[in-house]
Amino acid sequence: MWAYILRRLGEGVITLIVLSFVVFGSVFLTGDVTSFLIPISEDHDQKVYEEQKKAMGLDRPFIIQYLDFLGHAMRLDFGDSFVIRQPVKDLLLERLPATIHLAVAGLLVAVAIGVPLGILSAVKRDSVFDQFWKAFAIFGMAAPQFWIAIMLILFLGAGVKIFPTFGRGEVEGWFPTLTQVPDMIYHLILPAFVLATSVAAAIMRLSRSAMLEVLDSDYIKFAQVKGLHDRIVIWKHAARNAFIPVLTFGGITLAGLLNGSVVVEVVFAWPGIGLLLLQAVTSRDYPMAEGAILMSGAAYVICAMVVDILYGYADPRIRVN
Amino acid sequence: MATAEHAVLAEQGGVTSLRRRLKGARLPWVPIIILVALVVFAIGADVFSPYSPTKNDIKIGGQNIIPPFQDWSHPLGTDKLGKDYLSRLIHGARTTLRVTAPAMLVAIVVGTIIGLVSGYAGRWADSILMRITDAVMGFPSLLVALLIVTLLGTGIWTVIVAVTATSWARFARMIRGEVLSTRERDFVILARITGVSPSLIVWRHLFPNTVNTLMVLTSLSVGQVILLEASLSFLGMGLKPGEPAWGIMVAEGRAHLIGGWWLALFPGIAITIVVMAFNFFGDWLRDYLDPKLRRAR
Repeated sequence: MWAYILRRLGEGVITLIVLSFVVFGSVFLTGDVTSFLIPISEDHDQKVYEEQKKAMGLDRPFIIQYLDFLGHAMRLDFGDSFVIRQPVKDLLLERLPATIHLAVAGLLVAVAIGVPLGILSAVKRDSVFDQFWKAFAIFGMAAPQFWIAIMLILFLGAGVKIFPTFGRGEVEGWFPTLTQVPDMIYHLILPAFVLATSVAAAIMRLSRSAMLEVLDSDYIKFAQVKGLHDRIVIWKHAARNAFIPVLTFGGITLAGLLNGSVVVEVVFAWPGIGLLLLQAVTSRDYPMAEGAILMSGAAYVICAMVVDILYGYADPRIRVN
Repeated sequence: MATAEHAVLAEQGGVTSLRRRLKGARLPWVPIIILVALVVFAIGADVFSPYSPTKNDIKIGGQNIIPPFQDWSHPLGTDKLGKDYLSRLIHGARTTLRVTAPAMLVAIVVGTIIGLVSGYAGRWADSILMRITDAVMGFPSLLVALLIVTLLGTGIWTVIVAVTATSWARFARMIRGEVLSTRERDFVILARITGVSPSLIVWRHLFPNTVNTLMVLTSLSVGQVILLEASLSFLGMGLKPGEPAWGIMVAEGRAHLIGGWWLALFPGIAITIVVMAFNFFGDWLRDYLDPKLRRAR
């Protein structure tokens, strides 16, 4: 087990280094950061330009600049935002709670919808129930999330005002006070549901096919022959094993959540990292965009690593290869 | 001498067997009709659409915006500037294909070349390439796309680069796997013994055997690519605002939800239907050509 964990940790670290290298390298190749920072009138003044370049250390060789960048990035230090003139780190940390709340809520909704429905669909294979949710899954994977979000706003937030359609309410920071909890959940319902759609559809399909395989196995047949109650066979014996393959696709699930959170944050004006990233991209705020992409990317790589280790724990066969 | 031999041997390749196997197949007609319609509308957008997608048709003395199903000169209504919505939707089909087709093509070419090299060269080249492939494959595609937009600005080329950067890895992985199993087969070993050059072996013997996989993977990926393009357009990171792209139209409709419910609804339906058609077609093709890949249904 330890060898497996160490190997997976090593892979994760390599991925993170490659990620930082790609982000830094592509900025280095395409963007001349200096010209962003000196006033336009002085743009053609070579001397001012060179001085500025030297002051920021941009005249050093690529590899030195990269190592410098990496050292600072590890401390989440990405410099100051070009646009908001504040440290990128502060801006990111300020927005982090909103994104984490949304992602956790989305994941919970997706698992709560996807796993039971997938298992029930497999048990009631080819029934109307199965057909209906299969169609739902197909729709959930094909419909663009930004559109689902807007349609929900149209039907539940704009005409008939049932749910709030923007922001996260009175909550600020990580922990809501007790009185803020209802308001927080109220604001989370629509965004979390939209974020969950495509992930729930994928989880539903995965757990359904996994459950079909498990139901076909000898130990389930034996449990049935032994005369165990159907409910115990399904939920105690089969469902547990059907959940393992869902973990395999943990990485893809997380990628889906991250992709979705950018779009959902934009549509619902949710003050998280995704919204910050989009504003940074629009205004070509390099340090801000670099910081947001690297932080989201690192969060993704670390989560995927943890999921894989859990998977190795749940299914010993995986540790071997 | 060698050429004659491997010409015969190449007959084992994917293309001929595909044609043979497609005979008498039960085709998925609904997705095929939708996809054919998409292509026909895209090519003949100017013929089919009753108005120009970008010209305003402002009625004198009337309001600019017309709801759908009321004025039959504008069956699907108009947008806030009086542009015919049916025409815009039809031109949206063209935009979708204009962006996704070249993007898909570049991704396939890059992915296939890396897969072929990785699979045939083996050893350290293979391990390095596959490490990179694994890292790229799982990574959230929208983050990569947004990084590229930051660097290159918006526009059709950015979308093409973004799609390539996010989807080549799937192709490389699959093609490599296919090459690994094919390169040990007798006809490839024979070709190598008779002294055929490595590049010719890859091109004439290995590549044709990956064609089935390529087609399955392409049709399964197109839906994802269309969704990525639509998301970028929606976020204002793809084509220019005002262009008849479905993602942009949803974004414009978002600002007019009250009093213009159809503006965001219709283009979204169009995207969903097209992506669904590609997914269904891809599933069918996979089950048909590549029973190995078939999952429990």
